Amino acid sequence: MIQALFVHSWKKFTRSVSFSKELATHLFLAFIALTLVGYSLALGFVLENIITKGLKQADSFQFLNGLVLYYFGFEFMMRYFMQNLPVLDVQPYLHLPMKRSRIVHYLLLKSEVHVLNILVPLLFAPFAFTTVAARFGTGAWNWLLSLWMISIGMHYVILLFKKGWDDTLPGFLALIAFFGLLGASDYYGWFKLSEVSSWLFAYTVQGPILLLIITLFVLLLYFFSFRFFLHSMYPDERTLQKTTWGRTQDWSFLNSFGAVGDWINLEIKLILRNKRTRNVLFLSSFFLLYGLIFYTRDRYTEGMPGFLLFIGTFITGIFMINYGQFLFSWQGGHFDFILTRPVSLTQYVESKYWLLSGVTVICFLLSIPYVYFGWKILLIQTAMTLFNLGVNSYVIMNMAMWEPKKIDLGKGTTFNYEGVGAAQWVMGIPILIGPYLFYLPFSWAGYPTLGLLAVGIVGLIGIVLRPYFLKITTQRLESRRYVIAAGFRKD
Amino acid sequence: MISIQALKKSYKNTPVVDIPQLGISQNESFGLVGNNGAGKTTLFRMILDLVRPTEGEVQINGRNGQGNDEWKHYVGSFLDENFLIPYLTPDEYFKFVGKLHNYSDADLKHFTQKFEDLFHGEITGKDKYIGDLSKGNLKKVGIAAAFLGNPQVVILDEPFENLDPTSQIRLKQLLQQERQSRSLTYLISSHDLNHITEICERIVVLEKGRIIKDLKGTNLLAELEAYFNA
Repeated sequence: MIQALFVHSWKKFTRSVSFSKELATHLFLAFIALTLVGYSLALGFVLENIITKGLKQADSFQFLNGLVLYYFGFEFMMRYFMQNLPVLDVQPYLHLPMKRSRIVHYLLLKSEVHVLNILVPLLFAPFAFTTVAARFGTGAWNWLLSLWMISIGMHYVILLFKKGWDDTLPGFLALIAFFGLLGASDYYGWFKLSEVSSWLFAYTVQGPILLLIITLFVLLLYFFSFRFFLHSMYPDERTLQKTTWGRTQDWSFLNSFGAVGDWINLEIKLILRNKRTRNVLFLSSFFLLYGLIFYTRDRYTEGMPGFLLFIGTFITGIFMINYGQFLFSWQGGHFDFILTRPVSLTQYVESKYWLLSGVTVICFLLSIPYVYFGWKILLIQTAMTLFNLGVNSYVIMNMAMWEPKKIDLGKGTTFNYEGVGAAQWVMGIPILIGPYLFYLPFSWAGYPTLGLLAVGIVGLIGIVLRPYFLKITTQRLESRRYVIAAGFRKD
Repeated sequence: MISIQALKKSYKNTPVVDIPQLGISQNESFGLVGNNGAGKTTLFRMILDLVRPTEGEVQINGRNGQGNDEWKHYVGSFLDENFLIPYLTPDEYFKFVGKLHNYSDADLKHFTQKFEDLFHGEITGKDKYIGDLSKGNLKKVGIAAAFLGNPQVVILDEPFENLDPTSQIRLKQLLQQERQSRSLTYLISSHDLNHITEICERIVVLEKGRIIKDLKGTNLLAELEAYFNA
């Protein structure tokens, strides 16, 4: 029976309106995953050598154990951004003689198929079977399995978090607090995390006790997730979002901008009143803090200034990437409305441009305080903002027209997954790489500042040529309207 | 008013609509009936330029509907929930569409008053999002919105579906009233032969995309029943 669900899931994927786009994205992701697997495995094999010979640590086991907790912190972050919630449009199955528990087990199992869940064995197995086994015999199994269990446990923690807390203020604060503490404890050295880590994992080889405790914990997490998902199978409860976010009125200053202003107002309501778009907004504001991680380290500011371009684009353009790639899909549910009312598509497209730009500018203004870390930072961010406004905005708007799929805001999503996951980031890659095309030539010639200037100027040109680019974008939308509309009509 | 020439639509070589000629004059009350899958909605979609015809064209007021937005000012329509914005309350939705037609607040008030009977107190003045309304109430919002802007043509796809009996009667009365007060062309499709023969003076029967019958006159209901009984 669970097999049938997998088959349906596959059919849904292959018969999807966005099939070629999703296929391309997933192939790309698979490629990345394979590379990751390859590198991890390779790394796993040479760990011993790196530690003893490269880093000149006497006891490789102890050293590695010290790093394990840091590794899990890293994995937690990766999981938060890369892991998707498993989603099944359960309604068609609820009234059938299919046990609900089966459906939940299917969802939980499906979510486990993820490269992140084999990262631990890939990285640590070779080391375990050589070094650790040599010293502790079968204790090596305990060690490896304990690590793996913790990883899987985190999988469920993230799952629970994303399912239950992702859209809420407490969840958001908890996340900030967690990352904040992690960063702070590392920066200020409040407690020697590496010592705790070292002791903890060294203990695992003594006997199976720790492993058993961890496994028990993971089983509890699975059980808890199971109950949680089981209780969330009432479709109507998803839509009863009694939040006060939505009771927004029109932003009156936009009223003076005519139809374009009306459309922006509408979209603001959309963003604030729907869970998934709120999520995107939260995520974007969260990424404003990204700078704190990177700007504080000289390794980046001095050593790899080019990398900072990336950060600058991220900080100012994150909303553009995450919201913009589905730009037309959010309103896909009422695209026919747009096509049958006296709306000019030009105004429609223009309103979207101003929305994306507006948020980008706001992000830029909010990130100005980063100048604390140096004028160069401000320069980079300004250049990136200009580039985002003048180039990336058009790129994203046009990319969003590639086989868009309706996003059913009310009932979760029509994707195979929910929320922000790896596939969404793939769409952001052209955006992030763009600036480098203009920066690198100058940087390699030895004039990085000129490179920045070039990026900024290209952005300015794009901004100045806005009417022209918007016209092209509108024309593209116009020529695709039938196909896009038909795609949106499908469920 | 609306002129259809050699209109054809095929999906993967299967024709779903094939109409060599069809003309709908101003002030006509035109009804469309047919079996499920006959092509009624597809026809309406082509008239509204939502679907590109494989062949032929639709002319509204002498101009091809494709590629121009002019007709949207005087053609109101409601086909399905894709015409509604689920995250707005009905009041906000009416206001938004009203703005597209340059309605003042007074215009809007005058408009909603007309539909108060039909709304039965469940639509306006409430804080409920359109997405949370029942199917019947959704339809009411959509039908009402089709009349925003005082259109000369109103296209409705199965408007009586999902409405409770009282609302069906009220809708019928409303449609007839509107037509009496000004020049209005209706294009309505329905499965309810009783209602549609009461509102429409001309009924076209569509089957497998083709016009099988084009009826006018007083005995519409009897003729239709005879046809569908066969």
